[in-house]
Amino acid sequence: MAHQVHAYHMVDPSPWPLTGAVGALLLTSGLAIWMHFHNMTLLALGLILLLLTMYQWWRDIVREGTFQGHHTPPVQKGLRYGMILFITSEVFFFLGFFWAFYHSSLAPTPELGGCWPPTGITPLDPFEVPLLNTAVLLASGVTVTWAHHSIMEGHRKEAIQSLTLTILLGFYFTFLQAMEYYEAPFTIADGVYGSTFFVATGFHGLHVIIGSTFLAICLLRQVLYHFTSEHHFGFEAAAWYWHFVDVVWLFLYISIYWWGS
Amino acid sequence: MAAFGRFSQVLLRSSLTQTRRQLSAAAGHGEQSGKTWKILTFVVALPGVGVCMLNTFLKEQHHSHEQPEFVPYTHLRIRSKRFPWGDGNKSLFHNPHVNPLPDASKSQTQEHCANRCKHFVLVLISASQQLLRKRGFSLWFSANH
Repeated sequence: MAHQVHAYHMVDPSPWPLTGAVGALLLTSGLAIWMHFHNMTLLALGLILLLLTMYQWWRDIVREGTFQGHHTPPVQKGLRYGMILFITSEVFFFLGFFWAFYHSSLAPTPELGGCWPPTGITPLDPFEVPLLNTAVLLASGVTVTWAHHSIMEGHRKEAIQSLTLTILLGFYFTFLQAMEYYEAPFTIADGVYGSTFFVATGFHGLHVIIGSTFLAICLLRQVLYHFTSEHHFGFEAAAWYWHFVDVVWLFLYISIYWWGS
Repeated sequence: MAAFGRFSQVLLRSSLTQTRRQLSAAAGHGEQSGKTWKILTFVVALPGVGVCMLNTFLKEQHHSHEQPEFVPYTHLRIRSKRFPWGDGNKSLFHNPHVNPLPDASKSQTQEHCANRCKHFVLVLISASQQLLRKRGFSLWFSANH
């Protein structure tokens, strides 16, 4: 049996970083080829490879942490730093799209009619579905906090209930946004208004779906007794990510839906 | 801004709480927090969602479902490159009822709307006729028995 005189995790060799990199390359180049030559092969290949990589890599991490005991306190600290840095990078990602929105909306060009919203655009009423969406996400922030406390206090059933409620609220948001997208009188091709609106809210929606998936995995793990009241970093990471998604929505709502209408 | 504060609070609180739990013998004070958030969920958060749902529903009813006049502005309905699906002219969430195409005139969406409405009205009429017939029969039945 191998012994180590330190608390850190020397990870076993793994093929997933390589398959992930190849998958990312195929996905990006496949996207470009689909846009220009209308062929989906590379895109589909890249997507499948990336999904398989994510499934297997994260499955390995769960095995290493939950069953093999590699996630000692210093290792967990490193994972916390990692998640915080990742979320920070996502903040900067969205910052770019907010920059684009404010660049175009603070000084609307003559081609748009010199006004914002541009001439001919009927924006969505911020006090209808967008307000409901805000309430849904804020509520999900409350339920995910309830879930966290339930886990810490060892209340298994309540943890499952509150986590399920959080995920359902996430699905409800996605459903409402999809309806809004279909009912909107403007499209992504409606000038810079359409571009900024759909790219910013679209990427946000993608992050809601990612966040809901992460929470769903946590629900599965909670049901399978992976989490203890002291050690449940996977859940904490999911909760942080979910709060981040909520905050991005609040900025979107105030900037694009409310001020921009 | 308040949400940001809350966000960072949660971040710090989670690691702090864990440390506190590890140091304290019994997590007596912890028992309360879960209950607090449960109460917040059912008394504030979910009713808040319900109120907003009601508000949306009521506002929807007040809507006039008229379409704004179609003007073929050059800064809208841009088609500098085909969409990579279908005929390349319709956006991903294209709704013929509210999204006029670049080559459209006012009549296109209105016509489509009129056809849809006609169809809907016809279905409604036939359904209500069937219902009345059934009702009529049941009334006659109860009157004679």
